[in-house]
Amino acid sequence: MTGNLFLVGSLVAAIAVTSICYVQKIPSARPVKICAGLSAIFVAAASLLLWYLIFENDFTVEYVAAYSSTQLPTIYKVSAFWAGQQGSFLLWLLVHAAVGITLTFRRTSAASLGIYFLLQAILTALVLTKSPFAENPAQVFEGVGLNPLLQDFWMAIHPPIIFVGYALLAVPFALSLGSLLAEAASRSWLEEARIWTLTAWSFLGAGIFVGGYWAYKVLGWGGYWGWDPVENSSLVPWLLSAVLLHLINFARKKSSALTQAHVAATFTYALVVYGTFLTRSGILGDFSVHSFAGSSIGAALALVDAIILIGGLSVILWKAKELPQGNLYESHGSAAFAVLLGSLLIIFVAAIVWVGMSMPLLSQLFGEAASVDTDFYVKSTAPLAAVLIVLIIYTFAKFGRMISLGGKIAHVGFIAMIVAIVVSAQGETLTQEFKPRAKIQVDGREVIYEGQTFNEDEQQKFYVYTVDGEVVRALTKLHANGEDAAREPAILKNFSGDVYIAPHAPQIDEFQELMLTRGMFAMDGELGYVFEDAQIDRDENGNPIQATAAITITDGEKVETIHPLITVTPDGGSSKAIEAFNGTRRVRLTGISGDLQKARLEILPTLEKLSNMPITATVTTKPFIWLLWLSVTTICLGTFISIRS
Amino acid sequence: MRKIFFIALLVGFVAYAGLNLAESVTPYVSIAEARSSSSNVQVKGLLDKNFEPQQTCDEFTFGLQDEATGETLRVKFDGVKPDQFDEAYHIVAVGKYDAADESFHAKKLLIKCPSKYEGQNPKS
Repeated sequence: MTGNLFLVGSLVAAIAVTSICYVQKIPSARPVKICAGLSAIFVAAASLLLWYLIFENDFTVEYVAAYSSTQLPTIYKVSAFWAGQQGSFLLWLLVHAAVGITLTFRRTSAASLGIYFLLQAILTALVLTKSPFAENPAQVFEGVGLNPLLQDFWMAIHPPIIFVGYALLAVPFALSLGSLLAEAASRSWLEEARIWTLTAWSFLGAGIFVGGYWAYKVLGWGGYWGWDPVENSSLVPWLLSAVLLHLINFARKKSSALTQAHVAATFTYALVVYGTFLTRSGILGDFSVHSFAGSSIGAALALVDAIILIGGLSVILWKAKELPQGNLYESHGSAAFAVLLGSLLIIFVAAIVWVGMSMPLLSQLFGEAASVDTDFYVKSTAPLAAVLIVLIIYTFAKFGRMISLGGKIAHVGFIAMIVAIVVSAQGETLTQEFKPRAKIQVDGREVIYEGQTFNEDEQQKFYVYTVDGEVVRALTKLHANGEDAAREPAILKNFSGDVYIAPHAPQIDEFQELMLTRGMFAMDGELGYVFEDAQIDRDENGNPIQATAAITITDGEKVETIHPLITVTPDGGSSKAIEAFNGTRRVRLTGISGDLQKARLEILPTLEKLSNMPITATVTTKPFIWLLWLSVTTICLGTFISIRS
Repeated sequence: MRKIFFIALLVGFVAYAGLNLAESVTPYVSIAEARSSSSNVQVKGLLDKNFEPQQTCDEFTFGLQDEATGETLRVKFDGVKPDQFDEAYHIVAVGKYDAADESFHAKKLLIKCPSKYEGQNPKS
C-alpha cells in the first residue's frame, strides 16, 4: 500500500543520513539536510494519508475500521489517528522526524546526528512491523468507532503531548552517545542537551498531568492516578529525565560528573523504550508470557531496548578512562551534595515504580508469576517524597541564590503537588443506594439524587444530583442502541474541594422480548403488536446496510405505527429506543430475519420508570484538589521559564 | 568516605524496598493453592453461573470457578458489584482465603472483558 511505501522511503532516507554522517563527518552538509528532510516528508505523507483514510471512512484499512466510524465527530477523527497502537507509533515517529530536521540546522555533531537518525530508522521499522495501513481482512460498511471514554478533549491531546516527550528524549541520548564516540571528555553537548531535556521533561510532565486530569474527570473511579502499568511507564522516564536534568546542570559546572550525566541519558531513553515495550507488547495483558511469543512487536521492542541500554553502557565503560575523574563534591554540606542526594532519591522512587510495574515479568524469572499491590507504591515512595521535600527546603534556605527563577518555581510546584496529593486524599468516601430525592450527608455536604434525564437522540443521559443546593450532572454516553457506553462522574467544584459522585450501573431487570411473526398478533401483557412490513437495503454485493420495519401497536382502541430502523454495525445491530403511547411504552427492534418473516422486539423500561429508580453511587470528597491542578501547572510554568532563559 | 556513604545509602534503600516488596507481592495461584495459603494471593477464574451473586450493604459475594478443574471458590468482595461484572470474561480476585467462613476475602477485583474491538463481523 501507498502508506507503507512512504514509510519505506522514510526508512531509506533515515539510513542515508546515518550513512553520510558515518562516512563524511560533515553534519551540516546539504546531503544530510536533504535526506533528513526527505525522511520527514515521507513520514508526514504517511501521516496525512492515514488522516485522509480516516476522514474518507476507508474501512478497507483495518485500523480505520477499528478506531473510526462515519458517525465520529471531526475532532475525534483527528485523534482517532493515535487511538490505537499502530497509529500512536506513527505519531511518535512523526514527532521524532520533525525534531530530526531541527537538529540538522543546529550544528549537531555528525556522530550524534548519525545516532539520532539510526533511532529514527529503527522507529520506522517498528511502525512497518505493525503498520496502520494493513488491509482489513473483513468487509465492513461501518467502523467500530472511537471508544466513548476516549472521546474527550483532554484524552484527544494527551497522547501527542506524551509522544513529544518521548521523541525529544532521544536527543539527549543521541547527543551523549555521539559525544562519547567523537570526543569522550567533551562537555560541549551539555548545553544543547539541557534545552532538549527541559523541553522533553515539560512535555512528558504535561502529558502525565493531562492524563491524570482526564482519568479524574471521565473515568469515574474516583482518582487521577492508579499506578497502572501504562501510567507507570511514562512516570519512570519523567522521573529519570528530572535526574538527567540535574546531572546535566551539575556536569556543566563540574567535569567529574560527566560520567553520571552520560549514564542518566542512556537510562532515561532506555526506559522510554522499556515502558513502551511493557505496555505495548501485550505482556501484561495476561499474566502468562505466552502473549509475548505471539507479539512480534514485543520481541522487536525488547531487542531495541536491550541494544540501547547495553550499547550505551558499553560505550561509557569503553571510554571510562578518557572521562574526567575526581571528587563529585567537596563536603556533605555543599550544594553539589544536596543535588546528588536529591537525584539519588528520585532514582530510588523510579526504581520502586520500575520494580512494581515489572513484577509480573521479574517474578517469572524466579518462579511463579506475581504482581504487587498498589499499596506498595504508596507505602514505599511516600517516605522518600517526604525526605525529598525536606532536602529541597534545606537547599533553598542554604543555596537559594544559586537556583534560577524557573528552577525555584518548578520546585515550589513540586512541593505543592506532594502536599495536594496528601491533602486531597483526606476526604470521606460513601457508597450507597440513592433513592430519588432522599437526602444523604457526606462529609458535611448534603447530596440529593434527583433522577435521570435523557437525551437519546444525542446518545446521552444524565444522572442529576444536588449538592448543597447546587445542581451537578453525571454524563453517561450511550451506544446507538441505548445501552451505556461510558459513565462519567458528576463533580461539584468548590474552594474547599470537590464533591465527586460516581454513579454505578443501574440494576435493571431482564427486558421482556417479543418474537413477532409477520401479520400475526402478539401481546406483551397490556398492548398488542402486529409486525406489518419490513425492508432490508443491501449494497451491490448483497450485504445488508440497514433494515426497517413497520409495527402497529394497539391498546384495543387507539392504534399507533412505529418504524424502527436498524443500521448494521460491526457490533451487531439494534434500533434506537422508540416511544409509543405518550411514553408509556418504550421498545426497540433487535433483529429481523433474512426472509422478512420474523422480528424481535424488546420491551424496555419507560424513561419515567428509569428516571425514578434508585441508583447506587460512590460519593467522595476531595479537599483542596484544585491545589493539585494548580501545582502541576506551576511545575510546567517553571520549566517553561527555564527553557526561555 | 564518599563511597562508603553512598554504598550505605544504597544498601539501606535495597533493604527498605525489598521489605516493602515482600509484603506487597501477591502471587497468582490456583484455587486449590489459594485455599491452603494464608497470605495475599491473586486467583483467576470464570464466573460460576450456578452460583447466584449476592449484594449486601457493603459486601458482594459470588462464585469463582477454576477454568481447569471446575472447582468453585466463594469470593466475598469488600465493596459493591463492579460495573462490568456481568460482561466479565475472566475475573481476578486479589485477597486472602479465610478458612473460618470458607470463603476468599477479596480486597480488589480485576474484571477482564472481551474486547469490543475484536472478532465481531457484521451479520450477513
